[in-house]
Amino acid sequence: MAVLWSKDVTLLAAVAATLAPFASFVLIMVFTRSHPRLSAGLSLSAAGISLICALALLAGHWDMPEPIQYSGNWLASGDIHIPFGYLLDPVSLLMLAVVAVIGFLILVYSLGYMAGDPGFARYYALMSLFLWAMMCLALSPTMFQLYVFWELVGLSSYFLIGFWYEKFSASQAGKKAFIMTRAGDVAMFVGVILVLLNLGNLNILDMDNPSIAGRIPQNLLTLSALLIFGGIIGKSAQFPLLTWLPDAMQGPTPVSALLHSSTMVAAGVYLFERLFPFFSLSPHAMAAGLAIGTISMLLASTMAMVSRDIKEIWAYSTISQLGFMLMGLDAGSFFSGAFHLTTHAAFKALLFLCAGVFIHKFATNDIFELGEKGSRNLRVPMVCTVIAAGALAGLPPLSGFFSKELILAGLAGLANPLWLAAALLGVFLTAYYAFRPIFIVLFPHHSTSSQKASSASPDSGHEDAHDQAAYRLMAIPLLILAGMTLLLGFFQYPLQDFLKYQYAYLGIPADRHYGWLPYVASFLAFGGVGVAWVEFGRPGAARVGFVERIPILFRLFSERWYLDHLYRYLLERVVDKGLSHIFAQNDNKVIDGSIDGLGHGTVESGRIIAFLHTGMIQYRLLAIFVVMVLLSLYFFF
Amino acid sequence: MQMEFAGFPYLSAILLSCLAGLLLILFIPREKQLQIKWVSAIFSGITLLLAIYLFFAYDKSRGGLQFVEKLEWIPYLGIQYFNAADGFNLPNLLLTGIVFFTGVLTMWEMRERVKEFFALYFLLVIGVYGLFMTMDLFFIFVWYDVSLIPMYLLIALWGTTRKEYAAMKLTLYLLAGSALILPAVLYLVVNSGLNTFDIVALMRPGTFTPSQQKFAFILLYLGFGILAGVWPFHTWSPVGHVAAPHAVSMVHAGVLMKIGAFGVLRVAIFLCPQGWQHWAELMALLAAVGIIYGVLAGLRQTDLKYVIGYSSVSHMGIVGLGLSTLTVDGLNGAVLQMFAHGVMTALFFSSVGYIYDRTHTKAIAELGGLSRIMPVASSYFIVAALASMGVPGLANFWAELLVLISAFRVYPVRGLLAIIALVFSALFMLRVVQQTFYGPNNEKYATLQDVTFGLGMPRMILVAILVLFGLYPSLMLDMIETASIPFINGLP
Repeated sequence: MAVLWSKDVTLLAAVAATLAPFASFVLIMVFTRSHPRLSAGLSLSAAGISLICALALLAGHWDMPEPIQYSGNWLASGDIHIPFGYLLDPVSLLMLAVVAVIGFLILVYSLGYMAGDPGFARYYALMSLFLWAMMCLALSPTMFQLYVFWELVGLSSYFLIGFWYEKFSASQAGKKAFIMTRAGDVAMFVGVILVLLNLGNLNILDMDNPSIAGRIPQNLLTLSALLIFGGIIGKSAQFPLLTWLPDAMQGPTPVSALLHSSTMVAAGVYLFERLFPFFSLSPHAMAAGLAIGTISMLLASTMAMVSRDIKEIWAYSTISQLGFMLMGLDAGSFFSGAFHLTTHAAFKALLFLCAGVFIHKFATNDIFELGEKGSRNLRVPMVCTVIAAGALAGLPPLSGFFSKELILAGLAGLANPLWLAAALLGVFLTAYYAFRPIFIVLFPHHSTSSQKASSASPDSGHEDAHDQAAYRLMAIPLLILAGMTLLLGFFQYPLQDFLKYQYAYLGIPADRHYGWLPYVASFLAFGGVGVAWVEFGRPGAARVGFVERIPILFRLFSERWYLDHLYRYLLERVVDKGLSHIFAQNDNKVIDGSIDGLGHGTVESGRIIAFLHTGMIQYRLLAIFVVMVLLSLYFFF
Repeated sequence: MQMEFAGFPYLSAILLSCLAGLLLILFIPREKQLQIKWVSAIFSGITLLLAIYLFFAYDKSRGGLQFVEKLEWIPYLGIQYFNAADGFNLPNLLLTGIVFFTGVLTMWEMRERVKEFFALYFLLVIGVYGLFMTMDLFFIFVWYDVSLIPMYLLIALWGTTRKEYAAMKLTLYLLAGSALILPAVLYLVVNSGLNTFDIVALMRPGTFTPSQQKFAFILLYLGFGILAGVWPFHTWSPVGHVAAPHAVSMVHAGVLMKIGAFGVLRVAIFLCPQGWQHWAELMALLAAVGIIYGVLAGLRQTDLKYVIGYSSVSHMGIVGLGLSTLTVDGLNGAVLQMFAHGVMTALFFSSVGYIYDRTHTKAIAELGGLSRIMPVASSYFIVAALASMGVPGLANFWAELLVLISAFRVYPVRGLLAIIALVFSALFMLRVVQQTFYGPNNEKYATLQDVTFGLGMPRMILVAILVLFGLYPSLMLDMIETASIPFINGLP
């Protein structure tokens, strides 16, 4: 490293931010596994250190014309050099801050949510592992390091989804998540190697340099961009690898809030931001990305319209919002994607945390049941949910409105109006599926049944001081996040200012402003809310969505467009009963069979030869006679 | 008589301490089982310490052969007692020490014929150590057979599933291997005209013509390759793993298969580099097929040890693929993979050993829910599974990374096949983990105890080593590079 690390405050802060969670992970795993409170304390203080460092870094480098890079040698073999280091520039500092803030708030929330769980210490260890990996990923200066931590966040996601591993569905979901993202990662790995072989290194700054176009042939550039995009598809649960994310909701709700909505799945979008100049050199990759983002956004929206599980609805909405971000980025509007990522992190974490309060209290995920059991009586989470859903739907003046409007503006600048039309349809659907559960929960049909439900619920028997304390503890992060959701939209210009140096050399034209667009977008959003109100909210509503009236569509949407069936079929028929079966049989029958046959053959031929040596005179004579005949035949003819 | 010793003969000291341990075990009465175990632990520990010392005392800036011990034995035939250490065999010596020592600890609870077991176990390891350190072709052959015979007895006497079949199959396969190696070795020695078995003397460029190298290489490659589990000569290894007692499985998969790969490197590639270049394409093909074949065939296995056996086939394919690339990175990755796979698979078998000793079954279908009952014991297996999937932070990741990158560069299609296998290896391992350790509490095993600190020791050591080299791979790679860079640069 060029500078002594202890002398450089910036480096010190970066090291402290990333190292603290790792230290807490190791300490908990090795020493304090059997002391839940101590473990939580360790993990929280580590997250606190990271939070302070991340905010200090953000504040200290608010005006940063040049990226700062530190690197030290990690591994060198032949001509492959893998450094370990930090790359600090506006986009990475922003991501670091998002992770640190949301991570800290969710760890506080988990004190209440996870209280009394037998795996409390393990939970905090794994969350620390995740924070470490995610922060190192955000600050990676090379694609190697990014790939390493990319895999590690996937690993922590696997363990956290399967946290309650006694449940078959949980361990199944963890496995599915890992393998589907692995499939994307393999594509990304190949893409990264292609870049390495042509460029000679994997420095992100070098990859982002426009001169790369002269160093890699255009075809290869497109191919590697597409392959790396495969990794993004896996990690951000885009089409066609999108079905792992709804299943991932089997994990504890704070995990869903941190990993599977606001940060880890956003890592795919973050990677796109990281390599934005690289991708924009390849128009084909950008077009493919735009198509994938749009398809995922629409597919996930349709699935969210029919689900009854509150976490699943928010999971589909995550996929569709990530699709929105990718659409914005692929349309060439860098800031809109980055901004939507930031606002989305806040409001989506908020949605999940609120859902967590309901689930914790009423022990059900079903929106109809939640409504009947009286979720509306929990004031703080209910109000927060409405705010966050408003932001998700893009209602002014909440944060989501501003960021989504920017994406729409980016899409409106494209030559083909199809993308904008698809996005506007997405805005309408988003508003509809976001407010459908809200109205169902807020205006239950049998509002009188709350007493009955409370006695039926298994948890509500011990409505004591402990529960109240947990509730209060969980409410604090909700309020902070709700505040962010309300205010973040007004920080658009400061943030734009902060990010102005990022890729300034690309000369991205400033986003054009379309005067009519905000009105159309808000009209559609309010329209979506209105339809939801008519179908579910208004007194005497039938509470049946328009999709449910069309059985074919309903089945298609609720079966996730049969994607899971397809994967299961492929896995069972092609892999399990096909290749695997053939190979195992080949081992048993062909290879072992022939070897055993050789063995038996040897034994048998030994037996035949032994037959000649039994010492019986008649066989000897016979043998002599036969040999004599053969010899005479040979010599005389 | 010529003698050449560079200081204290550390390498021979390793062999001598094995021998001393063996003799001491033979003199202890068979009833004193605990004493036998302690003696085994102490003497295997001494060899481990010596290996660690050598690993760190090796002068990386100087490189080349160090700690040379040379002693003429039969000058008429050119046979020498010639031991030396370089960047290729030091990782393997360290690995042998680790697996040897942790294997003894894994067998701590053994009750049956303890004395004979440990005596044979020591004999087996003498052969392994000797083979890794010798630089004389004749001794390579001798040590190969020294390690082979105890293996047969260990499996046939103390094994479990179909043990006689497995022991006989393994022995026949390995003897078939040596039947290919011996003629090739004699062919090379005779044709060199140097009247020596000294590898250093024989590997000088120009000793053999290209056609001689091509002929000898393929025999040597197949001969040692059988031992390395090269597809399609791999079927002895899963069967052997399953049948063997835990510590023997550890040595068997952890070290013995490395002997094969190491033999390919030290004998075939060192002596016949042009033969290597000629046959590299075939090596890459067999390796790549083995990688994906092992994983897919493993998916259907129902016995925990079979699963590990097939994962070994796949991982040894990575070693073979690295060796076939003819590049520094490939060699580095291959040698690192030998080490990492050895440690990982030892961890696997050690963990399965604990589980089997408690539950008395290796059938995956009968297990399940163990994570709640024995969380620590389960997590050791899970760490090994993660290493096997190539998760970063564990040593195997770096080895696979290097091999896959260099393979993709040299043989894009075969490299791609190996990379795609990563998805299936994840599927393969996660399934096993899910079925064995997750799921509801298993009533049958509810009373079982989790692993205690003392019994967990061998697994702890192995995990620590995987993590150490996972976070700090340079420690090992700098060592391997002292051998691989000069070797590749010296190629014709």
